[in-house]
Amino acid sequence: MGEFFQNLVNALQYGSFLALIALGYSMVYSILMLFNFAHGDIFMVGAYIGFGIATLLVTLASFGALALPGWLILVLTIIISMFLTSFVGMLVERIGYRPLREAPRASAAITGLMIGIILETGNLALLGAKRVSFPALIESATYDIGGVFVTNKKIMIVFVSIILTLALHQFVTKTKWGMAMRAMAFDYLVVPLMGVSINTIARLTFAIGSALAAAAGILYGVAYPVLEPYMGIIVGWKAFVAAILGGRGSILGAALAGFLLGFIEIFVAMIFPSTFRDLIAYSIVLLILVFRPHGFFGEPYSAKLRL
Amino acid sequence: MQDTIEQTHPPHVTFWRKVKTLFVKIPLLGWIVGAIVAVLVERLVGSGFASGLGLTKEPALFGLLIILKTPSLIPGALLYVLLIYMLPTVAVAWATALFANRIAALLLKKHILIAVLVHLGLLYVVLHFWADISGYRAHTLKLALIAIMVTLSLNIINGYMGEFSCSHPGFMALGAYTSSVFTLSLFTDHRFFGSAVLPEALGPFLFPIGLILGGLVAALGALIVAIPSFRTRGDYLAIISLAFMFIVKSMIENMEFVGGPRGLSGQPRWADLTTIFIWTVISIWIINNFVRSTLGKALNAVRDEEMAANSMTVNTRRTKITAFLFAAFWAGVAGGLLAHVLQYVNPSTFGIQKLAEVLAMVYFGGLNSVYGSIVGAVSITVLGEALRPLEIFKWIIIPLILILVMIFRPPGLIAFKEFDVRRILQPRNTPKKEVKDDAA
Amino acid sequence: MRRGLLIGIICCLAVGLIFSGCGKKEEPKIKIGFNIPLTGDIPKVGEGSKFAAEMFKADINSAGGLKVGDKSYQLEFIYEDNESKAQSATAAALKLITQDDVLAIIGPQSSKQAVPSGEICNANKTPMISPWSTNPNTTKDRPYVFRGCFLDPFQGPVAANFATEEFGAKKAAVLFDVASDYPKGLAEFFKGAFEKIHGSGSVAAFETFTTKDRDFSAQLTNIIKSDADILFTPQYYDEVPLIVKQARELGWTKPILGSDSWGSAELMNLCGDDCKGSFFSTHYAAAGAKGATKEFIDRYKEKYGYVPDDVGALTWDSIRLLVQAIQNTGGLTGDLQKDRDAIKDQLAQIKDFAGITGNMTFTPDGDPVKCAVIVKISQAGDFEFYKSVCPQ
Repeated sequence: MGEFFQNLVNALQYGSFLALIALGYSMVYSILMLFNFAHGDIFMVGAYIGFGIATLLVTLASFGALALPGWLILVLTIIISMFLTSFVGMLVERIGYRPLREAPRASAAITGLMIGIILETGNLALLGAKRVSFPALIESATYDIGGVFVTNKKIMIVFVSIILTLALHQFVTKTKWGMAMRAMAFDYLVVPLMGVSINTIARLTFAIGSALAAAAGILYGVAYPVLEPYMGIIVGWKAFVAAILGGRGSILGAALAGFLLGFIEIFVAMIFPSTFRDLIAYSIVLLILVFRPHGFFGEPYSAKLRL
Repeated sequence: MQDTIEQTHPPHVTFWRKVKTLFVKIPLLGWIVGAIVAVLVERLVGSGFASGLGLTKEPALFGLLIILKTPSLIPGALLYVLLIYMLPTVAVAWATALFANRIAALLLKKHILIAVLVHLGLLYVVLHFWADISGYRAHTLKLALIAIMVTLSLNIINGYMGEFSCSHPGFMALGAYTSSVFTLSLFTDHRFFGSAVLPEALGPFLFPIGLILGGLVAALGALIVAIPSFRTRGDYLAIISLAFMFIVKSMIENMEFVGGPRGLSGQPRWADLTTIFIWTVISIWIINNFVRSTLGKALNAVRDEEMAANSMTVNTRRTKITAFLFAAFWAGVAGGLLAHVLQYVNPSTFGIQKLAEVLAMVYFGGLNSVYGSIVGAVSITVLGEALRPLEIFKWIIIPLILILVMIFRPPGLIAFKEFDVRRILQPRNTPKKEVKDDAA
Repeated sequence: MRRGLLIGIICCLAVGLIFSGCGKKEEPKIKIGFNIPLTGDIPKVGEGSKFAAEMFKADINSAGGLKVGDKSYQLEFIYEDNESKAQSATAAALKLITQDDVLAIIGPQSSKQAVPSGEICNANKTPMISPWSTNPNTTKDRPYVFRGCFLDPFQGPVAANFATEEFGAKKAAVLFDVASDYPKGLAEFFKGAFEKIHGSGSVAAFETFTTKDRDFSAQLTNIIKSDADILFTPQYYDEVPLIVKQARELGWTKPILGSDSWGSAELMNLCGDDCKGSFFSTHYAAAGAKGATKEFIDRYKEKYGYVPDDVGALTWDSIRLLVQAIQNTGGLTGDLQKDRDAIKDQLAQIKDFAGITGNMTFTPDGDPVKCAVIVKISQAGDFEFYKSVCPQ
């Protein structure tokens, strides 16, 4: 039984990352109906920016110039990195997506894929082949709760991701900008006629999605402190699966699907030989889509689909 | 009106137009004959000429490698390309234009099949002599031809049917492994499959059966994606196909009898240029006929508006399933050929990277177009090789080129264009409508 | 306009001829190709190989070149990126062989590229040395293909014996990447050897993940539940810190044992205190190294700022092996094929070659017989020599 709860904790942490990254995917996907295949790499860039800021602050602190406690550095890092990475997202939108708004959707997906490759290779060319270690900002503490090991990092990661998810949900459902976004998702042809600029909404969508990716990147760095240029690929594709699985137009759905995918992977590895993890986990995903062809919360397709 | 437009052109535009009119009268046959002369010239004097220009060897890929690697040799490389390839090709093509036109007309009058076979035969001669100069050229050419097959087959689903399928590496893997197991178990003494069952001399003749088997297994696998596609479309189908790719990869990793992640090696060397050329031609021929048939038009109908297609008596289910199985079959054959060219397969070859590569080829070349697939596959393969001297920056330049193509020609370079064999082969001495259109 | 074009062409011709005139007078060169992953999954491996090669080249060329027979040659190294892909590696090998006319090729490093490239090199009768590939298929039945490292069937039992003798382990757990052939091969040989000693079932947990996974918590939970005495994880240095840290966080306090893929200076930067006290089997110990090994490490560190990875040292040794074989030919004929054959013959005959990663003699398959070293990660974070295990 202890094993079950232990894996529950494990799955919560792993699912948090998939959920946070899936949120960014889902934003772009639900509102602009685009696949942003560069998202996994924006996540990587966010982690690296976070690494840079954290290293800078830690160095400053060690010189006594700006003696901040670790947790404050972490909070600052997350905030600044989210801010900076949102510009990366807007840049990606400007270069790769805006010129292609009238083009087939798949073409925009390809530009996203290519921007992703440029970000990876650019990182490799700039920083070299060295892996970097994300600085340990908070002292790791492990609590043994009846045979279940929980660390303070895990708790923090799960909390932060849930808070960010809920905040995004509030933003989208309660604010005026959120309403504009939902309207855009509902009908991207009519809404611009109502005086809402599609460019602004697109920029905002990418910015928010990228900021969330940056937050995920930093938390990822805290949990798995080895950063490398290709770190976003596999997580990115898995989050893409989660975002679509959640259903179009459902941001909370994407987050839930992210957690679900995390649970599937972890528990398949627990119950079956872990060798078969991918095989079984993705067979489950496939089956889910066979029986729920529009994801968990998605609406059936309308004829407006631009392919 | 026409005149005023003509006058506003700057002089170099009219110059190029003049150059163009010089060449519009040359049929494809003329160009191929010219190319034959060029490769023969290269064969005869190429290496001597190259060393005279200060190059160590005949440039492999039209001098591109040299230009990027040692800038001081740029004039030499350019001169080589100019004098060995361009000059003979253009001169011979131009000189024989009249004659070639007559032959082309004659051939077409006989039967289109004869015309096609003659053209292909001559084209093969060009490729053979060009590739014969170095093993590297031959290898690049083989990879390019295989890439054409893969790209075309993916274009059926992503271009003609308008889905976003991510499962092609999975189909290739199935084909590659099936045909490898076929050849390794029957014709060679292999660690996993015991001693040879049949004499090796039979191998090259039975090799096509192995490839077809590979294609069939891939088609069988495609059912897993095709059946959900009845109810699921678009993005959700993309996920199903992506999951399929992960499943295939993970499955092969767990199959110890095909070597797991270590892969299979030692496939016999039967995938030579001739074999691959023939298979590629067959695939282009059949796929082109497929997409121009009623079924192919039904695919377009499904893409543009499934509901309407259904009500117009298009059997959407049958259409979708045929398209998937057909595309997967060719991907499987291509995978089998690739395994025998590399003489090695492993599951990690058929992952996300391969997917990105194949998608890039399809969208670079152009959706819904056989032309486009050929152009996309060849240019990405050649670029991938030619930009090697840039080392790491190769993977910045290639994506940049793709982004630019996407921005300026969103559906790809040559999208939505019919591949009409008769029109390609026809003589050009009589002014045709297209020519006029071009000039206007 | 047309006249301009004509003038341009003529200028081009003239410049070309002038250039071709000066390009002629060159000193004799020995060209060696490198088929290494500069991009893709493991760019660090390519970088380490390239740095070691650059250092070697600078040494030889600044000393007036390599003396073969009675002639001196400058070394020319050509680096081709194989993008860590099998397809690209074969194309790179063919380019080096047929286009650049290299005498021999060093690399590819990992088996998934070395196996197909080995086939190409063998078919084209060009000597190839893979410094790092541990898959038996790389050199099997290929007279032209050699390697610079020991194989998994040797290293697996070394680790199993060490676990038994040093820690008195009765039950072991293994965690490895199922999609990558090096860890998988080694994990299986370890399992075989350990179960031979302690009976079947003594490997209580045999857990896997997939390349690029960063979360191993489910597998580690299983391992902890299995009550094993030791964890063997033959993973690459960038995954090891994550495995070790997550294991500690989940309450694993028992020893962790690794393999030669741990042997990178980056391991300690990434891992910090958590890896200290662990052991791994490898080709050489950087801390406390003596003689040529120390000299290599010190110079590399001075030049590039970090202690070389094992792949750097193995590449260095492979180049030296090749150069030794070239010198043993007693003089190059200038006929490419003859020279390549001669180098292959000389490579096969090399006996007791004193490499910085140990002494080497090639078996008929082209695999070296060499000793493994068990290294302990000290409290100062150095890789200290612990003991040496040689094949019987």
